[in-house]
Amino acid sequence: MTDAVMIPRPAGLALRWTGAALVAAALVLALIGPLAVPGDPFAQSLIKALSGPEPAAPLGYDHLGRSIFHRLAAALRLSPAIAMAAVLTAGLAGLGLGTWAAARGGWTDRILTILADALLALPGLLLVLIVLAIVPGTALGFWAGLSLVLWVEFFRLTRAATRAVLASPAVQATRLLGFGPVYVFRTHIWPEIAPMMLTAAAFGTATAIMAIAALGFVHVGMRAPTPELGLMMVELLPYWREAPLALLSPVIATFALLLGLTLLAGSRDT
Amino acid sequence: MTLLKADDITVAQGGTPILHPVSLHLEPGEPLVILGETGSGKSLLAQAIMGTLPRDLAARGRVVLGDHLLDAARPGGFRPLWGRQIAVLPQEPWLSLDPLMRAKGQVTEAHHLVRGMTVPDAGAQATADLDRLGLAEAGMRYPHELSGGMAQRVAIAAARAGGARIVIADEPTKGLDAARRDEVADLLLAELARGGGLLVITHDLALARRIGGRMIVLREGRVVETGPTATVMGAPTQAYTRDLIAADPENWELRNRRPAGAPVLTATGLAAGRGGVRLFSDLSFDLTAGRILGVTGPSGCGKSTLGDVVLGLAPPSAGRMSRSAGLAPTAFQKLYQDPVAAFPRHRTLGRTLADVAPRHGEPQDRIDRLMPRLGLAPVLLTRKPDAVSGGELQRLALLRLLLVRPKFIFADEPTSRLDPITQKQVIDLLCETATTEGCAIMLVSHDPELVARTADHVLSLAPAKASEPDLSGPRVKLAGHLG
Repeated sequence: MTDAVMIPRPAGLALRWTGAALVAAALVLALIGPLAVPGDPFAQSLIKALSGPEPAAPLGYDHLGRSIFHRLAAALRLSPAIAMAAVLTAGLAGLGLGTWAAARGGWTDRILTILADALLALPGLLLVLIVLAIVPGTALGFWAGLSLVLWVEFFRLTRAATRAVLASPAVQATRLLGFGPVYVFRTHIWPEIAPMMLTAAAFGTATAIMAIAALGFVHVGMRAPTPELGLMMVELLPYWREAPLALLSPVIATFALLLGLTLLAGSRDT
Repeated sequence: MTLLKADDITVAQGGTPILHPVSLHLEPGEPLVILGETGSGKSLLAQAIMGTLPRDLAARGRVVLGDHLLDAARPGGFRPLWGRQIAVLPQEPWLSLDPLMRAKGQVTEAHHLVRGMTVPDAGAQATADLDRLGLAEAGMRYPHELSGGMAQRVAIAAARAGGARIVIADEPTKGLDAARRDEVADLLLAELARGGGLLVITHDLALARRIGGRMIVLREGRVVETGPTATVMGAPTQAYTRDLIAADPENWELRNRRPAGAPVLTATGLAAGRGGVRLFSDLSFDLTAGRILGVTGPSGCGKSTLGDVVLGLAPPSAGRMSRSAGLAPTAFQKLYQDPVAAFPRHRTLGRTLADVAPRHGEPQDRIDRLMPRLGLAPVLLTRKPDAVSGGELQRLALLRLLLVRPKFIFADEPTSRLDPITQKQVIDLLCETATTEGCAIMLVSHDPELVARTADHVLSLAPAKASEPDLSGPRVKLAGHLG
């Protein structure tokens, strides 16, 4: 009666593969697309404004006659790059501070937890906006602001899991055997939190891309003429009747990327 | 009239038989004990009889339950009988009670929903049930306010509320100390005396002896021996049963007492508490190389806390713990109750051990030389901790300690989760370690027999009393001569 009945989860695995395929498709478009069809995302040709697809511009042209395909490829490089840089920074900071807080306990733990909770209480987008106003350079500002928002999640996960691991008999035994903190981290803590970190990283990347697009959409993020997903959507919104494909391209690309990342993160059944 | 009759029950996993044909019958008023070590198939047999096998296992055979004839291959047919004909006393019942429901409510619910009584009648019946079990005061308490023994009685009242005449108890004494074990056995026998049948599945020889009745000894899915419990345990005819009985601590030979060696540690006037409750105070003892100090006492009396203090993991609230001069910081080691929890989960055992040896200047081949000495196969090193049996893993844990060449080992209930034969192996190895490595050992056990036959001297801790925190110091009982 103690044997748990194991239920296989083929569905979970399939979802994860779907997610990976969606993310891979977006990255292929971003990185290999411009090599297959050379072109300039900034080159204008007003004659071709809002005209349909052609071999040199597989997704047609926007209101200023710029190739949607090349602008989309550039946008799909920009947002994920900022997002991944921010997630990497936030992940490392959260991991380091979370482990430190769990290991030291006491005031270190209390102060870091209060700081994390305080940041959690602020709306993330507002925090990014404030940092954008302070830091020169929009990309740098996004990176700094998003890192500041995202580290809290990594910190909380790391701290909670590490506390449990550090209190376990296995760590006590390892310490009695004379091993130091580095070995404890490598053999006990990291294998335990690595899957959680990957999940949080995928969610974090999706959150960051979403935030960049949302701020671009309300004209307070990336500035024109930078190709950016949110900015492209709002620029093309007035021409939805004349050029529906032009508007749908960034929408579908954003949706596919975010759905892919969420599936990649969320279908982990552990 | 026979309450339950099972003919030629087999269990197979994907075509491989893991339980060979077993037949049994249960008579009113006569308990049946199924005895076997971990992996002997004793729980599978019970699950096959109840139709609760995991889905990937297939049972065959015929079960006659009262006037119902059932096919073990179709577990669906058993479902209507659960609670009405056949009741299961869960392992560790305090975990199976609803934590958000008062004791009486849990019994009332079973009377109401399973037996179909009206709510007022069910309530009255529940009150009567609890009264009979001596729980009149406890009806309005939540499970966390009940002691383990009371929770067990509530669980049995709820399990039997559906009117089941047959009670199946699967390892009802898992993790209990000797006093509680007898309490559970008496409770089960009292229920039996009210009519009905009792099937007890256990690896605990003392429980089997106390329950009596008839016995089936299982090993690796086959019946080894059957007969009246007293006969089987008094004069076993099969070699395996003899080994099993001989492995019962009550039948162990006394270990030769060791002369005092070099002192390893001295404790003077130790006191410690946990959560504001004084667990022990004014505790003084010393330990010399090669000797074993047994520590006994009921659960929650501070045995593990004493270990933490002696190992230097927690400070004593009073007194002094001093190690002999010149011992390495890693000279004090601990053997854990649950060996699975003491190894890194995600690393193969071989890698874990290979990490330890070089750190203490031991050549890697010391692992290879120790493996056969502890009766371990090299293939185990390629596995992760959860893929190795408890007995093997406890021996691997001992091997890991030996790589450090410890001078003191605190063994915290190292065999409480092992079956008797494995328990004897591990304890023998521990005694041998004390002798050959000149290691002092503190052996904690809830089994007074085991400690009495193993230790050079015994320290028995009195139960901690929450109401009068400072009164009860430990009684230091000395068996044999102190060095």
